[in-house]
Amino acid sequence: MKRTLRGRTAIIGAGRSQVGRVPDRSPLLLAADATQAALADAGLAKTDIDGVLASPALAAPFHRFSVAFSEYLGIQPTFSNTLQVSGATAATQFNIAAAAIAGGLAETILIVGADSLLTGLTPDLALRALTESRDQQYEMPFGIPVANTFAMTALRHMHEYGTTAEQLAMVAVIEREHAARTPGAQMTAPITVDDVLNSGWVTTPYHKLDCSLISDGGAAFIVTSAERARALGVAKPVYILGGGECYTHEHIFLMPSLTTTGAVRSSAKAYAMAGCTPAEIDVAGVYDCFTGTVIMMLEDLGFCPKGEGGRFVADRQMTYGGAIPCNTHGGLLSFAHSGMPGSLFHFDEIVRQLRGECGERQVQGAELALVHSLGGGFATQATTILGSAGTL
Amino acid sequence: MSASNPHADALQKPLPVPDADSAAFWAGLRDGRLLLQHCLACAHVQVYQQGICRNCGSERLEHRGASGRGRVYSYSVVHRAPGPAFKADTPYAVLLVELAEGPRMISSLVGADPSTVAIGMAVELVCERVNDAVTLPRFRIAEAGGS
Repeated sequence: MKRTLRGRTAIIGAGRSQVGRVPDRSPLLLAADATQAALADAGLAKTDIDGVLASPALAAPFHRFSVAFSEYLGIQPTFSNTLQVSGATAATQFNIAAAAIAGGLAETILIVGADSLLTGLTPDLALRALTESRDQQYEMPFGIPVANTFAMTALRHMHEYGTTAEQLAMVAVIEREHAARTPGAQMTAPITVDDVLNSGWVTTPYHKLDCSLISDGGAAFIVTSAERARALGVAKPVYILGGGECYTHEHIFLMPSLTTTGAVRSSAKAYAMAGCTPAEIDVAGVYDCFTGTVIMMLEDLGFCPKGEGGRFVADRQMTYGGAIPCNTHGGLLSFAHSGMPGSLFHFDEIVRQLRGECGERQVQGAELALVHSLGGGFATQATTILGSAGTL
Repeated sequence: MSASNPHADALQKPLPVPDADSAAFWAGLRDGRLLLQHCLACAHVQVYQQGICRNCGSERLEHRGASGRGRVYSYSVVHRAPGPAFKADTPYAVLLVELAEGPRMISSLVGADPSTVAIGMAVELVCERVNDAVTLPRFRIAEAGGS
């Protein structure tokens, strides 16, 4: 028998805190804000939660964030863990929650992540965040910020496929258009390609506006079994249809290819489990720590051929009316990026798209969606495919 | 870290602290040699020194000096430094060098304007002494006809 998670669990609640500059609210309080919103959305009480899967917070560096947060919230779950594969953590939270529920370890899991990178980091913690994520012997002595690892992949992509700085910039322009229609987004003023190109270098080929934001904020979700979702009479459960992950390297100099990533395999596994193809996906949340990241992922996730990502974006295929509307909330580039929880905002948007709740942002007829999270200079890759009841 | 200034170490560039896997690599650099691990079982060549071959798992690894020649596989010119210790150096070019022997490594450019770097450019090793314990492997643009 082929083992699968397809349709066995559903997201029945989603919530987030205020995002952007949110002073005087700790990561734990932001997580509580999000959790209470998610519980209210699901119509459940905190005592209904028997499992917690969290991402860690730089501004609240507990060894066991999920345990610390359970104490803060006042619950005593019988399943708990704090996952850490950098930016890919968000999708792994959903994949592992689905597996844990399907396997009987828990019935109703809280997925949660929050951090305050903009206002909550002390100078010491900020410096640790900048320097400790790269290898201390073979990388960091040369002054390599995390952004630099992504930048080197983008320059290689430009070299191999002729991708241009203007094409990279279009990703930021389109996502800003999306954020302008998202209540609560951190950055909403329209920008042009020239604005991006004139925003000053961070690390070539990336300008300031090619880079994601630094934010405070958190998000939370309630995931339960499909049976319990039905028993509760949830109006619009969003089903987890497939998941996949891939880890190709730790150090950027051991990345097998700088332009084709582990997202090819993580998404292939997710598509196979969900029983669908990239062409069938209606709306996507694609990790967008930098503009070039999106272009490479549109290729590796199968939305366009390898090397065509730049032209695909310039042709406005990643927005409304195009092949695959992506990051309709504005993404990490314009909505908010609070570190490891950042990709949870993609999930929040996708859940609302699949429920048809997005108002003027709504992708008409959205039934099947993909979220891809990644991190560590493309070291970690995780994909989750979600669908409405009609896709079961 | 001094008690009077808790942020003093933020102004110091991080330096490698050799461990059991990497001691030979850093000792080699002190002697002016970039050592690569050659697997005697499968002929795999690796940088990032470790106790087993990443290809076949053998412990029969031998350190051999590299030619010091390579090409820029990719790079990025850093304008916003990762912390105060690197601020005075900006802009500087971080290099992903593909060595003539095959492996890639992270380094940085010395002796040239970082804006002149391009993918495919031939580069050669410069062993740059930092202190008695540490010598860093950096690269300069190769002389014409090199590599």
